[in-house]
This record gives sequence, C-alpha cells and structure tokens, in this order.
Amino acid sequence: MITLTIAIFLMGVIVVGLLNKYPKTAGIIAFFVSLIPFFALLSWSSVMNITLPSYLQFLNFETSWQYNLGPGTLILQITPLGWFFLLLLSSLFPMVILFSISYFRSNAGGFYAAMLLTMLGSFGILLAQDMLTFYIFWEIMSWSILALVIRGGDRKAIVSYLSFGALSAMLILFGFMLLYFKTGTFVFAEMHLDASNLVLAAITLIVSGFAVKGALMPMHVWAPHVYSKSEEPFVAFLSGGLSKLGYFGIMLFMYGVVGFSLLSSWGTFRGVPLFGYSLAVVGAFTAFAGTVLAVMQDDLRKLLAYSSIGQLGYIAIGLGIGTPLALTGALFQALNHTFFKAVLFLAAGAVYYRTGKYKISELGGLGYKMPFTFLASLFAIFALAAIPITSGFAAKWLLYEAAIEKKFLFVTPIMLIAGVGAFLYVYKILYGVFLGEPRYNVKEAPLSQLVPMWILVLPLIIFLIFPGWFVDLTAPILQGYEMTAIPHTPYTINTSLAKYNTLAVIFAFIGTLIFAFILYLSKPQEKVDHMDNYLAGEPPELYDYISMHASSKYYEPFEEVFYPYFKRGAERMWEIILAAGEVFGSGARKIYTGIVGDYSIYILLFFLIMVGWWLLW
Amino acid sequence: MVNYIDLTIQILVAIGVTALGFAIGMLFNGIARKITARIQNRVGPPIYQGYIDVLKLFTKKTNISHGWIFDLAALFSVAGIALAFLFLPVAGVSLLSGEGDLFLILYLLAIPALGFALGAGASGNPNAAVGIMRALMTMLAYELPLVMVIIAMMVYYDTTSLAVIVQKQANMHWAIFIPVFFIGALVADMALQGMLMEKPFDIPIAPHEIATGPMVEFGGKHLGALMLYKMMGIVVETTLFVDLFLGGGVILSVSQFGWLAYVVNFIVWFLLILFVFFIALLINAVFPRFRIEQALKFYWKYDALVGLLILIWIFVGVTP
Amino acid sequence: MNHENWSKLARIMSKRSLWMIHFCTGCGAMEMPPVMTSRYDMERFGMHAMATPRQADVFLVTGYLAVKTLKRVVQVYEQMRDPKYVIGFGSCTINGGMYWDSYNTIKDLSKYIPVDVYIAGCMPRPEAIMDSFLKLFDMIDKGEAIGWQKYHKYYDQYKRNQRMAFSYRLDEVKDIKEDDKE
Ligand code: SF4
Repeated sequence: MITLTIAIFLMGVIVVGLLNKYPKTAGIIAFFVSLIPFFALLSWSSVMNITLPSYLQFLNFETSWQYNLGPGTLILQITPLGWFFLLLLSSLFPMVILFSISYFRSNAGGFYAAMLLTMLGSFGILLAQDMLTFYIFWEIMSWSILALVIRGGDRKAIVSYLSFGALSAMLILFGFMLLYFKTGTFVFAEMHLDASNLVLAAITLIVSGFAVKGALMPMHVWAPHVYSKSEEPFVAFLSGGLSKLGYFGIMLFMYGVVGFSLLSSWGTFRGVPLFGYSLAVVGAFTAFAGTVLAVMQDDLRKLLAYSSIGQLGYIAIGLGIGTPLALTGALFQALNHTFFKAVLFLAAGAVYYRTGKYKISELGGLGYKMPFTFLASLFAIFALAAIPITSGFAAKWLLYEAAIEKKFLFVTPIMLIAGVGAFLYVYKILYGVFLGEPRYNVKEAPLSQLVPMWILVLPLIIFLIFPGWFVDLTAPILQGYEMTAIPHTPYTINTSLAKYNTLAVIFAFIGTLIFAFILYLSKPQEKVDHMDNYLAGEPPELYDYISMHASSKYYEPFEEVFYPYFKRGAERMWEIILAAGEVFGSGARKIYTGIVGDYSIYILLFFLIMVGWWLLW
Repeated sequence: MVNYIDLTIQILVAIGVTALGFAIGMLFNGIARKITARIQNRVGPPIYQGYIDVLKLFTKKTNISHGWIFDLAALFSVAGIALAFLFLPVAGVSLLSGEGDLFLILYLLAIPALGFALGAGASGNPNAAVGIMRALMTMLAYELPLVMVIIAMMVYYDTTSLAVIVQKQANMHWAIFIPVFFIGALVADMALQGMLMEKPFDIPIAPHEIATGPMVEFGGKHLGALMLYKMMGIVVETTLFVDLFLGGGVILSVSQFGWLAYVVNFIVWFLLILFVFFIALLINAVFPRFRIEQALKFYWKYDALVGLLILIWIFVGVTP
Repeated sequence: MNHENWSKLARIMSKRSLWMIHFCTGCGAMEMPPVMTSRYDMERFGMHAMATPRQADVFLVTGYLAVKTLKRVVQVYEQMRDPKYVIGFGSCTINGGMYWDSYNTIKDLSKYIPVDVYIAGCMPRPEAIMDSFLKLFDMIDKGEAIGWQKYHKYYDQYKRNQRMAFSYRLDEVKDIKEDDKE
C-alpha cells in the first residue's frame, strides 16, 4: 500500500501539473489524493492503542515498508511519534487544499503539484527509520517548498529561503555523516551511541539544522519573508504543518536516537541536561523576541509569521526541559499551533480574497460583514492567547508547570511575559481587521473556505474539554523513551504541583455566563450605527471622510520603547557573519598564489604537521 | 456516583460567595470614594453609593448596543471576573481553587479583559481603541514584576496551587514575614496599583484625555456590567495579594475552632483586603498620572529589577 | 414587585446617583469647580462629573449657546440614555441674557431641547446650583422631571426648531465639506 501511495502521489503530481488550465478540476483531484495519508493514519491507529471501528479503516496499510537501494535500504515504518505528527499534517493538508479550490482562480496546477510533493516528503520523513530515507524525503520536501516560494515571486523570500534551506540541509547532512562515521549504520534502531564529543557535535549540528525549519532564533530570518510573500494556503500549511517537522526532527534525534540518559551524560544543570537547558533558553528567547516583533508589524502576514516564531519557541522550551510533563506540553503546543495558526492564516487568506488587502491599518470592521470568519479566527485567537476556553491554555499550562517543576526561575517569567505580549498582537488583529469602523462592503467568505476553517477549529474545542485524551495520545510516544504519561483522567490533568480540571472551568464559566446573561436580558436595547459615537459632541455625519479607525501605528508607544533594542535584528547579525566570512575568504584566497614553489612548501608543511601529530600522539 | 446533595450545597455556596464578592466590591466602591473625599477635605458620598450606582445603571430605560460583539463585552466581563473569583481561595475556603492553580487564575483574569476589549473595539470609537491599547500595555508592564514575584513564591513553596500556598502559610507563617517576600510584597503591591488601575497607572481610563477610554461608548446596563466587573476586580485582585502574602487572612484553623473559625477568618480577610485596597487608595489620592511609556519604564526598570534580585535570591537559595 | 413600586425604586436610584455631563460653553462653567470640590462638594448627593454622554444622566448647559454649539448640544443630548434631565444654567439659557440681541446665539434653550430646571443669575452662585440640584431631586421624586418624555412626544417640533436655528449654518458647513473634498 505504501508503494501505491507514493505512486498515486507522484501520478497526482503529474496529472495536476498538467491541468494548469483547469484550476477547479486540479484542486478536486488534489483534494482526493490528499486524503490518502489520513486514511493511512486511521489504519495505523493501533500503534497508538486506539481501536477504531472497522468502517473507518477501509484502507489497510502495512506498518513497515522496505526498498533496497544500492548502498542501503530505505525503511519506512510507523512509530507513535510519527503517527502523532502525521495526525497534525494529514488532517491539516486536505483542509488547506479544500480552501485553495476557491482561493485560486487561475494558474493553480503548479501549486497543487508542489503541495502534493511537500506532503509526500513529509509523509516519508515521518515514517523514515534510517537517515538515508529521512534525508531523501527531507530534500523532496525542502525543494518543493522552494518551488512554492518561487511562486510567491519575492526575490528576498527566495534568496533567504534558499540560503537558509541550504544551511539547514548542510548542517543535517554533516550531522548524519558524523553519526554514520561513528556507528557505521544508517538505521536508527541499530545505532549504539556513547557519550563521546563526536556524538555531541553531531546532535548539535542536527538540532541546529532542524531549528532552521522550526524558525528558532537566530535561524528564523527566512520565515517572515517567506510567510509574508507566498500564497496564503501554502503559508497556512507551512506554518501550521511543515514547521512542526523541524520539531519532529529535534524530538526524534534528541529523545529517540540519543535518549535522555545520554543527553544527561554531557553534563546537567540543576537536574536538566545542559543541552536541553540551552535549547530551552533559546526557545524562551525566541518566544519573547518573536512576540515583541509581532506587536510591531503592520502587515497581517508578517504579524502572524512573527507570532508563529514566538509560539514555536514554546515547543522548543518543552523539548529542552525533557520531562514527561514538558514533552506532553510541547506536543500539545505543537497540536494547538497547527490548528490555530492554520485557521488564522486561512482567515487572512479569506480576508485577502474578499478585500485584496493585507495591511492591518487599511482593513477594519469585517467582523459584522464576515461573521463566521470572525468567529473562527476568534476561537483561534483565544487558543493563541491561551484563554482557558480553548485547548490553547492546557498546552501552555503544562509547559509552565514543567518549567516550575524543574525550577526554571528565569525562563518562566519570560514565557509568561511572552504570553501577555500575545494579547497585544492578537488584539491588533481583532481590532484592526475585524472590529471598529466598517470600511468594506463585502460578503462572507465562500463556503469552501469557511468549512476548512471551522473543521480546523474543532480540535481546539475537543481537546479543551478532554485534555486527557491528548495525554492518552502521548502515552505510547513517552513509552518509547522509557517515560510514563502524566497522571490524568479524561478531563483532569495532575502534576506534582497542581491539578487542572477542565470540567470545573467549563461548568463554572457556563454558570457565570448564565448569570451575566440574566443581567444582560434585564433591559431592552436598541442597535445604533457605528457613526453614532461620542466624539466630544462632534456630529460625525459632517465628517464622514475622516476615518475613525485608530489602527495605524496602533502600538506606537510600545514601538518607541522596544524599537531601539530590536532595530538591529538577526538579519544584521547574519550580515556581519557573512562579512566576516568574506574577509576570511579573501584572506584564504591569498594562499593560492599560483607559484609552484609555494605549493610545494604547503605540502611540506602539511606533512611535517602530520608527522609531528603522529609522533606526539 | 456523584453525591447530588453535596454538589447542590457546593453550587449554592458558590452562588452565595459570588454574590458576596459582588456586594463587597460595590461596598468598596463607596468606601473608596468616601476615603478619597476625606483626603480631599470633602464630605463624599454615602458608603452605599456603589449599590445605588449599579442599580441605577440597570434601571435605565433605554440602552444602546453597537451589535452583538459589543454585547459580548458585558457578558464576558461579568462572567469572567466571577469565574476568576471562584478559583481563588477566600479566607481559606477554597471553592474551586483545588481544581486549578495560579497560572489558571492569571489567565482567567484575561477573559474579562479580552471580552471588554472586544466590546470596546466593536463600538468603533477611536478613544476606546486608544484606551485598550493603553490597557494592554499597562498589563504588559505590570505583569513582569508581578510574575517574577509569583514565580519566586511558587518555587519557594514548591507548588503552583494557590490553595496550597495558603495552606502552607497557616498558623501565621505568612509570606510577608519572610524578609525576601516582604520585599516581594512591595514589588507586587506596585504591580497591584497597575492592576487596579489606580492613580499613577490609571492611564487606560484617563477621563480627561480619552473620555474614560474603553468605556466611552458604554451606558446603561452595559456600563452596569462593566462597573460590576471593575468592582469585583478590586476584590479579586486584592484577594490574590492577600492569599499570596498574608496567608489568605486565615488566623484560626477550622479543625480546631469549627464555625467560629470561618466567621473570624472571613472578617480578617475582609479587613486585610480593605487594608491592601486602602494603601492603593492613598497612593491614588495624591499622585498624578504617568504617561504610558513612563509606566512601562517604571515597571520594567525599577520594579522588575527588584523582582530580578528576588529571583536571584531564590535561585541561589533553593537547591533543585 | 409591581410596576408602580419598581418605577418608584428606579426613580429613587436615579435621584441618588445623577451622573452629570457639563457642557462648558459659557462663562458660567467657572462656578462648577467650587461646586465639585471641597467647598460645596456635590458628591454628597452621589453626583459625579462624567466624561461621555453615554454614561450621564443629567446635562448641564452652562451658559450661552452659539448656533454652532447648539448642534453639539443636541448631538450630546440625543446620545444620552433615558431617563435624562437637563439643567439650564444662567440667564443666557433662559432668554439670551446679555446676548439677547446677538446674531449668533440662541435665546431660549427649551425651544431646542426640553429643560427640566433653570437657574437664574448671571452668573449663578454655587448655592443656587446646589439648590437647583435639590429641586431636581424633588421633581424626580414626584415624577415631574419628564423632559425626556416630552422630547419623545414632541420630537418633530423640537427637530423643526433646531433645523430652523442652524439651517443656514448647515448649508455653510456643507459647502466647506464639498470644498475639502475637491
Ligand atoms: S448667564 Fe451670564 S455668566 Fe452665564 S453664560 Fe450668560 S453671560 Fe455668562
């Protein structure tokens, strides 16, 4: 079946690519192809100890697959971790394709072809059991992303993605080579690693390579450019789905291949492996800086891009701390981020589809015109801001608990402040785009755009009520790392520090809402126009050409305070590194003088050093 | 099997305590105005003025609404603040506080604020938008020192549950008697000033600059709901402070003294939150208003610096 | 509780918590600070200066009104929610006062919005203002302060008077507006 899947995907790519003239047909074909990974997921549910009714498992996929390729064997096999991330990607992907059917009016064949290729690549990555397969599929995914970035047509985005993608691939490849050099095998299960510095170097390289895809600072430079200059459905999939592959890789190599005990053997700091501690600190910095930068943006997509970077930082914190609590929190945050960020990007796409604008200061008042888009993004925003009426809170809560449990005294305040900063930028979206003065007389987004958004909101509500089901999902993953799942019932989570009972929160909230509703019904009310506003007695109808929307430069005092610290930015850092590299390079070029005598001296020196080393050894 | 009688009693107690919270909140409004008046050498309104104001607002004949998003503000603000109150231990009585912890309370406090912000934004008044911007930035400003102190306490007491923190302070082992948390209480009190939106930090509702900011379009029952939210907010925030630093006002243990303990604890709790609020009022009565960047700089430079010292103290002192 | 008692309760509440918006158009506004501060302290009666008409119950028009200002006054009055009361402050609101022959001020405020209580004097002393508040309380208690009901009832007349007052000014404003648009 897996062979067939890959074949169908490749055929789909060709067919869809040829149907460039017929965007709707191409979209529908792509949608049906895109459902296959989800059916595979259903048929593999026994990996997670879930029994589904048989009519959901009508396609029967084998759990492992091998293909003999000259130097090694390609091995694909479903694992609990792979299943979990496949759940995120395969449920997001069809929705994104469904959204694109009405989003693209022409020239969509290439888009669907490249999207199918990215999904094929991610499918392979999540199932890969050896480094060779992993790397092959990783490259398929990366290059097809490049094709989609090129479709966006922004030079800066292409260059930054290309350079950082190459950097990421080089780092990963180098790490893989070191691991192969050390162990002599590509297969994860056959690797026997020890606590040598070589392995440490390899894992550092690999993790920093994945950090590029996960947009961890300072490797995030490509993300705002790409997110803000590509087509919206693709960005939703990139930010919601593909960025998780970076964290999948980090988790796979840190806890699957290397393991917690080996990580601890390179030194621990206050009970946490030093390696993980530094990852957590980087994650916290990313969460904070991403948030501050998001507050300063005016372009809706740039804002979401920086917020993405900030929210992904939380996953890095969880992966760094590495206790069962923290890993559960990180996976939960990954799940939430997949859905709410996809909804937000799709909503941005729907807004663009109707108004043709991305600038927050040029939008306004769409909440009453596009109520369902507004409500879907309101839920997503609640999840992003971790308001306890969506599942977003449980994830952040687990991460906070994990940090306090390990006594992270300096990281936790930064996490919390980044959480408060999230309120600032989500309100900018709410006010700038959906509330305030209605400026556009537009219709609601088409149904084929609303349906994906609302389907993607569902998990946020389900896992709000039953966070225990999520913890059940993490149990097999943690078992693989010789950890046990955190104590839970369907609607409570217990930690060593406290307890979180979602049922109590929900029922209390419903009760208080009823109380408030009775108060609210006490008196009738009349609806007034937004023009009937208190403006110091000015009759606004005389001044209808003056905008009452205060959304341009909304957080100006904030920018005044923070801009001086952030104006340099990471791009500047990379420029300095490049300049240094250039100086070093031109210095190195002087060695190649072109005179034979010089070269012979070099060779002599080289031999002397080698002999000297050998003698001294 | 759920014990329905117990559940019913619990729900009734919850309703009663919430009503009491609102009642105390309205009383505090009167007390605050009376005290401010006395400081300014005036007579001031009667102490029950808060009740009259709220009742008047709910008996207004006509109300306006800017659409359903505007109405959400009234619903969310009252519901959210009552919800936050239910999760606090009050005078050692923990209604739902065993079911959540301090992080939950901090985020529950965001529900009314965000709902309120939604309504203010939906009104379409530029003053409201500016007011919300200021409110969110003040929130960002005061949260940093507050969170630093709270996290220091969590690590010191090795729990994140507020109920457990209150329990560990029983028998007068109040946190404020520990030197480092005495300083912490001062830091948190400054943050409380911003939380209560009292004077140097009443930037969001500056009536003379932006016409009470977010509340500019609210009148009648909508304003009544917001008044309830603000008044209850005073109780919630001062109770949070008292729970953290003053042992929640528990001076008699229930197991020893029975129902007498409940009565005495409730009275002590009431006096303590009144005292905490009184300090805020004294500062409020004599200070002018900061600008928003000044408030941010005050909190992040001076208040947070002391908070950082507390964190370092705990970091060195606590072995993992 | 039957309707009669309910409206009585509503009246008592409304009486004891009159939130005020003062429209400082004329010189009479000078007398407001002593009324609000420690010398006379109107907060004794639960009165309170509010920033916006949405929150206010009583509207203090302090002095003469130019036609241009009248437009704002009407706008503010209409934004207030029922029940709402108006206090005309100083001779200018009664008969034009010392501006009785001005080309640009209105003479009788009650032609444009219903006024519940007038305070005579140019300018009235704070004692007179306090007295007017007590008078208003009395009227609310007895159910005599029904200006807002009158406004609903005779809406057309009030609107006609207003339109007549600022008809030519309105044209001028429209012209300016069109100039700006070009
Ligand atoms: S009545 Fe006298 S004091 Fe009052 S506004 Fe007219 S001229 Fe000024």
